[in-house]
This record gives sequence, structure tokens and C-alpha cells, in this order.
Amino acid sequence: MGAFPAPPRCGLTDVRIRGQCAVPHPMSGSPPTILHVDMDAFYASVEIRDNPSLSGLPVCVGGPSDQRGVIAAASYEARRFGVHSAMPTAEAQRLCPDLVLLPCDFERYTQASREIMAIFRSYTPLVEPLSLDEAFLDVSGCERLFGSAVEIGRKIKLEILRDTGLVASVGVAPSKFLAKLASDLSKPDGFRVIEAHEVRSVLDPLPVSKIYGVGPRTALRLEAMGVKTVADLARRSREDVAREFGATGVWIHDLAQGIDTRRVTPRREEKSHGMERTFADDIADREELRKFLLEFCEEVAFGLRDMGLRGRTITLKARYANFTTLTRTKTLEHATNLGPRIYSVARELLERIPPGPLRLVGVQVSNLSDVRLPVQEKLFGDLEMTDKGPAPRATDTRQRMEKVTEGLDRLRRKYAQRVVVPASLLGREKPVGRDGTNGKLKV
Amino acid sequence: MKVICDRQKLHDGLAVVNNVIPTKSTKPVLENLCLVATDSALELLGTDLESSVRYRIDGVQVDEPGPAVVPARVTLDFVRDLSGETVTLSTHDNKCVISSGADACDLVTTEADEFPVITRFGSERTFSIQGGSFTRLVNRVAFAAAREAGRYAMHGVLAEIENGSLKLVATDGRRLALCTAPVEEGSAIRAAGKAAIVPAKGMQLFCRVISDPLEQVEFHVSENQIGLRTKSAEIFTRLIDGEFPRYAAVIPRESNHTMEADAALLARKLRLVANVTGTEARAVRFKLAPGELDLFGQSAGRGEARARMDVDFKAGEAEIAFNPDYVLDGLKNCEEGLVRLTFNERSSPGKFTLAENYVYIVMPITIEG
Repeated sequence: MGAFPAPPRCGLTDVRIRGQCAVPHPMSGSPPTILHVDMDAFYASVEIRDNPSLSGLPVCVGGPSDQRGVIAAASYEARRFGVHSAMPTAEAQRLCPDLVLLPCDFERYTQASREIMAIFRSYTPLVEPLSLDEAFLDVSGCERLFGSAVEIGRKIKLEILRDTGLVASVGVAPSKFLAKLASDLSKPDGFRVIEAHEVRSVLDPLPVSKIYGVGPRTALRLEAMGVKTVADLARRSREDVAREFGATGVWIHDLAQGIDTRRVTPRREEKSHGMERTFADDIADREELRKFLLEFCEEVAFGLRDMGLRGRTITLKARYANFTTLTRTKTLEHATNLGPRIYSVARELLERIPPGPLRLVGVQVSNLSDVRLPVQEKLFGDLEMTDKGPAPRATDTRQRMEKVTEGLDRLRRKYAQRVVVPASLLGREKPVGRDGTNGKLKV
Repeated sequence: MKVICDRQKLHDGLAVVNNVIPTKSTKPVLENLCLVATDSALELLGTDLESSVRYRIDGVQVDEPGPAVVPARVTLDFVRDLSGETVTLSTHDNKCVISSGADACDLVTTEADEFPVITRFGSERTFSIQGGSFTRLVNRVAFAAAREAGRYAMHGVLAEIENGSLKLVATDGRRLALCTAPVEEGSAIRAAGKAAIVPAKGMQLFCRVISDPLEQVEFHVSENQIGLRTKSAEIFTRLIDGEFPRYAAVIPRESNHTMEADAALLARKLRLVANVTGTEARAVRFKLAPGELDLFGQSAGRGEARARMDVDFKAGEAEIAFNPDYVLDGLKNCEEGLVRLTFNERSSPGKFTLAENYVYIVMPITIEG
């Protein structure tokens, strides 16, 4: 597959030079080449696919209500009852007493996601995944190989159904914002193209809240200004909106005009990698908290190694029963992706947090760098630079640890990630979050 | 105060004292210099509260003893541009008049008791060393001290007296320079076991004060400061209160690989290859085969470069990569022409022996996979 660079699209500067009033449809020249593919009720659909007896039933994936669980995904049947993701499970069950609640099986969803992403990448290298079940694609330059963007969109939708048995909604448009809007407007099992000349007629009647960046609060403020629909917003002068909302104003005004110059950027760079969990019951016991931390650190470290990254800054997050949230951070001399190293810092950071029952703890590693980058070795390691005075040669320990970890990772990849765990974690269940997912965070 | 002084001598003294005087200070009095005329000498005093200098000019004609506190920079500049043989310094009311022949200036003075008290050298001598050998020691080591980052103690040079020699160590955590020189015996015994972390700036100041490389200079180390005395100057600088990394353990004692090479040639080849390496994560790979060193450098944006040279290397093959800037910093000080590099693995420290009693440890750069 050739890597065709995206041709420059209508840039913001061009528009400004020509003057905003004179150009009601700045996208008029550009054909739709951006695809937004979004799986319908992804987790629930995977469950139904693998257990057809569930089809037609209100199915939800999420954590149990007696553990403060929340819904991670709801089938369209369940949505009819008003159930939606992020809703507490207890509330969902109240709305829909016959709800089929399933635990989250993250590995199966990840597997399905990989297959779907592979289909995208067989058409274009410019794939920007937004989550497991959603991605932007830029197919400009692929026309000779696969046909127009619309044809590619149809092919992808069919291929996903054929290869994975899952249903996707596809939006095709000249920009990211419009493509996402298109897939959104046509859900479920949708396919929608927004051509450049339709931009105004599609956008105008929509409520402003459909604009990316307009949340409930901005929507209220806009309404107070007499702006309800996108058309109302588009009619306002750019200066007026900018005066009221600052940089956000410029942004939403552009979107209301259909201007969105964001490119599809494959491999969005990971800025941090972490894991956190809200407990079923608050935990005050430090020993128990440390066990969770160790578990998270091992998991996060494995994830970093998997992505070929290591990080220098470690952040501990703790939320008390009253929702007060504290974070403590430490930056290391050396970037690391070793569980024990991350844990020793996380443990130290936990000591700096006042005692009390916690409802959530999390660990995050940031300041990431590629492991393939050359590394200037240091004379004195982190352990040696503590206030107790340096004790030399942590480098050796680190290198030994790296070698061992490399071997263990091979086992973990071949058998299962939990085939080797620290002895103190033997017999513990894999940590799961309130929505039943494994609580991994990527920012 | 009224003094008549040799112009050149006065200028030399002012230049030395100006080294410590800050050009801008939150305490304006520190931007001044204190002149004190006593019996047959003129003393020049300056301080930035971290370091202080007392410079003595002998053989002056003192007509009226006393102090004068004058702006330091202007005094130096004015005296430098005078052309007469001698200079006359005298105070009238709150002015200090500097004159030479037909040229003169009136400088504003500050109350002498506002000027900080400058430490005097005690009668107790701790150790002494030849001036030139001390400056060479500092030049061989101080460049390796940390500048911006790193723990504060590493911004200084560690000075230790042991077995009749003075050992200086500096490190920024990625490289470390260590050099020793003998000190005068009798005094060394009394000072044995003393260790002090001297700010790198203070060390440079010491070097600037030493004007005669053959002169024996004296050191005095106390709890919180170190002093140096030459025949005309006394200088004190505050020590860094902190813990120096335990450096001894990172100096490799045994090694698998030993290479000997012409230092100047190695420096030239290294610079050649370093040209293509990028600005961040600069690395030059040293690949050794019997009798031969192959240098290789690359960067994504610029390309790659190779250089080869004959070296003395016997056993098998070995590979290690360094930041070329660090290696070049050391090679600059290799006066004997021959450098020896020893190391164990590509991830363990490289030890460069640059002269007798002079080693330079550089941590390598490792590249995964």
C-alpha cells in the first residue's frame, strides 16, 4: 500500500485572506475524502454476535450495581429504555428491569477492534483511531486504487460486516467534523455522505450542541444570545462570537461555517499511560492499596513495553470518599518501563497522601519517550541520588532487571499476561474498573 | 586616605578584585570596592558574599592611612585608561580623587562601615601546592562539573587531601573527571582526611588569582569556606554544603577491553564524524577490531559518517558509543599525546586515561535493539 500524502486542504489562512463573508462555503472546492467509521453499540454488539440468543434483548455491558458499576455500552434495544453509557448500572436496571447485564470482556473487544483497524489500514495508512471502535480515515489519493471516498466507505462497511459480523456507521465528508457528524446523524447501521455543496443545508437546522466543542454550558450561553441552531451561529460575525467566547468562539464559529482544517493524524502520540480504578468499597488499608498499586504498575509497565515506550514522570492519583482528589508526582532521572521501578515510586507517593478511605487510586506514567532512542547512561542511578546519599551502580541492577523482564514478556505474550505475576499478587483477580473494563487510560 | 601607587600594580590588583565584584547586586554596596591604606601597603577588597578577595599592593607611599569605598567597575576602567607611571588616590569629604599627571576623576564614595567584613587568612597553614600545578589540576577537572541540572553538590568540584596529594573530582552525572597532584608533605599530614566541595566558579576564581605558576600557594579549609593565599592575594569562597556522589565505586577497576590511540588523531576523527550527528542524543559509535578503530555517526536529518584510524587494540572485537562532545572535552586535556580507553560492555562506563593520575569516566550512549 502506497503512503500517499494528503493534499493540502483548504487552509484557514486562505479563508481569512478571501474574507469570511465572501465565502459562505469554504469547502466548496474540496471533495469528501474524510471518513468517520463508528461501530454501533460496540461492546454490546460483540456480545450479541458471540451469543445470538441475546439478539433483540436489551443488552448492556458494565459493572454490577452492587459495586457502584456503570454502563460501558448499551444495545439499541436497551437505549430505547433510556439506558446509555456512563449511567450507573443501578439506574439502568431501574429504567429497564429486564436488562441483560454482561461483564466486560475487554480482550474480545480488543481483538475485534484490531480486525476492524486492519480493514481501515488496508485502504489507507492515514487512520486515526479515536477509541477501540471509532476512527477517522483520510482516503485522498487512494481513488485510483480503490475508487472514490464514497465507494471506499461502502466497501469498508461491507467488509466489517462480512469479516467481523459487526455493524458500523460511516460518515463521508470533506472534513473531520462533518464526517463525524455524518456518521452520527445516520446511526445505527448508517451511511451518510455530506458533499461540499450540502454543507449549509445539513448544518443549518442542527442545534448548536451538535458542534464539537459546544457543551451544555456553552449551548446555554449561546441560547441567551439568541443562538439556537448552527445557522444562527453561522450568521453571527466572527468577531462577536470571538468576543464572547475567546479562542473557543473562533473555533465553534469556524465549525459552524463548515471549516475544520484538522488533519487525520495516524499514530497520535501517546502523552501518558496509566490505570486507575474506583473500588466497590472504599479502601483505607494501605497494604491493600499498595497491592492494587503494584498490580496497576505491573500492568502499566507492560503496556508501555508493548508500545515501545518508557516514561520519566510518575503520578499517583487518589480520590477520597468525599471526592477530594489528590495527585502526587515524581520525575525520575531515568525513563523506565519496569513495573517494580514504577511501583517503588508509586509507593513512595502514596506515603505522601494523608490517611483515609480512598474510593479510587490510579497510577500514570508520562514524559514518554521511544525505547529506540539512544539513551545517555548515567553514572549514578535514581536510587543512588536519594537524600540518604548515593550508593553506586543501580545501572547494573536495572540492566539485569531489563533482561529478566524481556524474557518474562515473551512468556506473557505467548501464554497470558498473568502467567507470571509478583508473588504478592498471586491468586488475585485481574483488576477491573467500574464499567468492567480494565481501567486503562491513554491520554 | 592618601596614597601614591604604581599604576600597573594598581591596575593588576583592581582586575583581580573585580573578578568577584558583581556588576549588579541587590545590595548596591557590593558593587563597590574597598581601598584600605595601611603603613606601607594598599589593600583592595571585594566580595559578592559567596567569595571574597583581599589584594595587597606593597611598596606604596602612604601619606594618610584610611579606607575608601568606591564604585569598582569605574575605578578599574579609569585606572586602565590612565597613562602616567603612578596614580594618586586621595579622599576629600565624600569624594575619592584618582589622579595621574594632568588627568583626574572624582568618584562618589560610600561609608566604609557599610562594606562587609572580609575574612582574613589565619596563621595556621593547611597545605600548599605550586600555583601552576593547581591551575592545571582545576583545568583538567572543572569542565565536568554540572552546570544547569543535577544535584547542587555536583555544581562543585570535590577537593580531597589524602596520601600527601590533592585530589579533585567533578561530575555532572554523565561523565566524571578525577585528577591528583602531590602537595607539600609536612602540611599535607595535618590536612589529611579533609574534603570540601568548592563551587566551580570559586575554583576558576582561584585560578585567576594565581599569577605566577611557580609560586607556592597556600590553602586553608574550614567548616564552611576554603581560602587560598598567594603572595599578593587572599581569596575565600564558601563551600557547597551537600553530599557529593560516591564516585569511587563508579570508576571501573577491571576491564575487558583496552585501546590505546593518538589523542590528537582521535580528536580529529571524532570531530569529523560528530559533524553529522544531531543536536539531541548525539552519539558516535566506537567499533574496535584488532589494530583498528572504526567511528560511525548518524542522524535522521543529516546522514551518516565514518572514519577509521589505527589504534593499539588486541583482543577480538568490541563496541561502545559515546557523546562525542564529552570525549572531546577530555581529549583537549590529554597533553601526553596518548590516550587509553578501557571498558567492559557497551552499557558500562568508559574510562579514559588522559595522563598519569588523571582519569576521565564517560558513560556511554546505548541504543536498544
